[in-house]
Amino acid sequence: MTMIDRRSLMKMGAGAGALAALGVPAEVLAQAAARGQLTLAFPADVPTWDPNARTLAAVQSLYKLVFDQPLTQNPDVSIKPALVTKWTLENPTTLALDLRSDVVFHDGTPMTSADFRFSFFERAKLPVPEGGRRLDTGFIWRKVTDIETPTPTRAIMKFSEPMPSAVAWLAFLCSFVVPKAYVERVGLAEFVAKPVGTGPYKLVEYQQGARIVLEANDRYWDGKPAIGRVTIELVRDPTARVAAFESRRADVAVDVPIREAQRLATQPGVSARLDPIADIMLLQITKNGGFADDRARLAAHHAIDKVAISRALFGGAATPISVPAAKGTPGYPPNYDFAFSVERSQALLREIGHSAQNPLSIKFASSNGAFPNDFEMARAIVQMWRRVGINADLEPIELSVYQERLRAGTLPEATLFSWGNAVGDPEMYGGYLLDPKSIFSAFKTDEMAPRIQPLLTETDEAKRIQGYRDAHQFAAERGFTIPLLQTVKTIVHRNEVAVTKYDNGWILPHTWSFKA
Amino acid sequence: MAFLALQLLFRRLLLALPILLCVSALVFGILRLLPADPVAMSLPPGATAEDYEKLKQAFGLDRSLITQYGIWLGKLLSGDLGGSIFFRRPVSELVWVALPATLELVALSLFLGISVGVGGGLAMFALRGGLGEQALDGATTAMMAIPEFLWAILLILLVGVSLQWLPFIGRLGPGIQLPPTITGFLLIDSLLAGRFATFGSAFTHLLLPSIALAIGLAPLVMRVLRSSLLETAQDDYVTQARLRGISENRILVRHALPNAALPTISLIGVQGGFMFGGTVLVEMIFAYPGLGNLMVDAVRNHDLPVIQAVALIYCVLVLGINAVVDVAYLAVNPRLRLAGAR
Repeated sequence: MTMIDRRSLMKMGAGAGALAALGVPAEVLAQAAARGQLTLAFPADVPTWDPNARTLAAVQSLYKLVFDQPLTQNPDVSIKPALVTKWTLENPTTLALDLRSDVVFHDGTPMTSADFRFSFFERAKLPVPEGGRRLDTGFIWRKVTDIETPTPTRAIMKFSEPMPSAVAWLAFLCSFVVPKAYVERVGLAEFVAKPVGTGPYKLVEYQQGARIVLEANDRYWDGKPAIGRVTIELVRDPTARVAAFESRRADVAVDVPIREAQRLATQPGVSARLDPIADIMLLQITKNGGFADDRARLAAHHAIDKVAISRALFGGAATPISVPAAKGTPGYPPNYDFAFSVERSQALLREIGHSAQNPLSIKFASSNGAFPNDFEMARAIVQMWRRVGINADLEPIELSVYQERLRAGTLPEATLFSWGNAVGDPEMYGGYLLDPKSIFSAFKTDEMAPRIQPLLTETDEAKRIQGYRDAHQFAAERGFTIPLLQTVKTIVHRNEVAVTKYDNGWILPHTWSFKA
Repeated sequence: MAFLALQLLFRRLLLALPILLCVSALVFGILRLLPADPVAMSLPPGATAEDYEKLKQAFGLDRSLITQYGIWLGKLLSGDLGGSIFFRRPVSELVWVALPATLELVALSLFLGISVGVGGGLAMFALRGGLGEQALDGATTAMMAIPEFLWAILLILLVGVSLQWLPFIGRLGPGIQLPPTITGFLLIDSLLAGRFATFGSAFTHLLLPSIALAIGLAPLVMRVLRSSLLETAQDDYVTQARLRGISENRILVRHALPNAALPTISLIGVQGGFMFGGTVLVEMIFAYPGLGNLMVDAVRNHDLPVIQAVALIYCVLVLGINAVVDVAYLAVNPRLRLAGAR
């Protein structure tokens, strides 16, 4: 089977510029804009319209248009009230929540604490049918032993043990409120076919893998969205998304290649944003083979010029990071910097008997096309390592292979990986990536267990945050992880569209508007 | 003739069963041997190693390969394609939405490829020895030299972006409503519902991806047909027809073409099968929601039940095209009909 070479596709896309400049009737979309309609070229589709079923960061924005989460986030990723107006940790295992009283589902029924209980307790604990599996909310909220609903606007979550990240989880991934009465009346299949939420838009048309059409919810508790109708064209291929934008078939295109975003920004009437977000790119490290010695891993980290990679591959927009967390999030230690130093790297390698003449040989794996510029970044790192005396044998792998090797403990010394954390809570960084018990951690060391595991139940927020900062820094200084850069989100849009930029990469058209 | 065709189709069906069984076993086995883990890929945060083992059991992935295959085959025979690991929905539900889209795409691509191929082949033959033939020859070389996914991109850039003549995203234009689902085929359903605007939109959305796929078929058909016609033109019966004073056009259409068509039909059968493979990339580039796009998602997420089902459906479609080609062969070749009758 012939495979698309991403590089050649991007080159073709660059060539599109000249062709696209040959006169494009901008009035086509201007007419749509005048009618309050927006078309968005988006790269992913929902796997199912049951928002509690999957924890997929790529489509959380789509779910957020139709459903609501108990809490949500400000553009700077701080948590803010949504369906829940106030939250109080009454004791380490009891979280009391006050709900809004003015929220109605798209079918006109009011949202109450019964719906909250249904979404986060009853559905999560449903018996699993033969050959089936639990909803993902069932894994996330497994510590919930009950949710009391003393009034329609009050819910009290009871946990089997402290869950300090519960508040963050109420704004994260698949934590959405679904209508108990409607789901029970029509059944799951009908609910998935005709989803009803409390979100800013109603789903009016869905073509699997092709298009989502949304209409503003007149009775939205946070006010009717300024953009009345949103058509989301599901376009997987980045070049096709660029073409959709250039042909004025889309007002906004997201996740376009960096160079395309830079090129489009030079066109009249077009704006492009390249922003670092809370997701991070890092090297998942093991102590296998050549990385058994701490000094080898630290030498590898010191040898990587992250600023140069950001400049060369991300237009300088990818913020270099020294610990496995995005800068500015609570778990990032302020003023900590892991230095790029070729001399330091060479000195460490010399201590263990390696140099450019007698290089240290390691295996290095990277996905190719799973996230922007992944393999290009891996190749750049190989060159940087070669300069100091590390000879990396680079192997492209699929994400499914990565997962299998991670589980089996057979990952090579280093693997380039991307980690999403829209909510920015430190537990979702170090808590998963560094805890040796976590299924997501690659470097399994008992040294990290006492630093991370107490934090998973620590209810003193200041102590918890400081604990994660210390653990992140410790892991970087011991070479248990090699953090690289924050991921870059690209959005190109017509100047007429006022786009709200979220630091976690959310694409939320209900927070946008058309400029007068 | 009709009886012979039915007999042939029945024989084909009998032959198809062991082929399908082999293909299903092969696909099933190869997917299980790959060092990839669909269960680990689908685990959410909060899942533990015990959850992993439980899920593996739930999906039956902890059993022996033969047991797994037996269970899957048993369910398949009862019409159950299983549940998708990634989509968390029945595979049959996903497939029945995507399959008609791909069938419409391939049908139009075959129609365009055969029409242009046969027309071009006849033109090349008619213009033989002249500049026209050379020009057409050059054109076929250019068409064959560029792979279909690149044609797809070129067509988007030229016809979709620059000239803005045709749409290139999805199956319908914005604002055009889906017709009620009767057959699942958008063109047919929109006609049945009397929604001609929907039909027009669906048809124009099909054109560019169909052209991208047809470009792979048309030049081959042109060249093979031209060669066959050149060969047939030397045959005695053609010379005798000329001596009887029959016009060149009549000789071409009534005598030479039916004989020259046989190798072309074989070629269409083979290339028609390849065309289904081509839909994977073309559908992705045109954001066309067919089986190809579904397969891309399934492969990315190592969604074994979906990959198995789609691979098997591709196999059925290819076998179906071959059966149709056999019947076409029977229709144009009297010797086969005679042999069949004996």
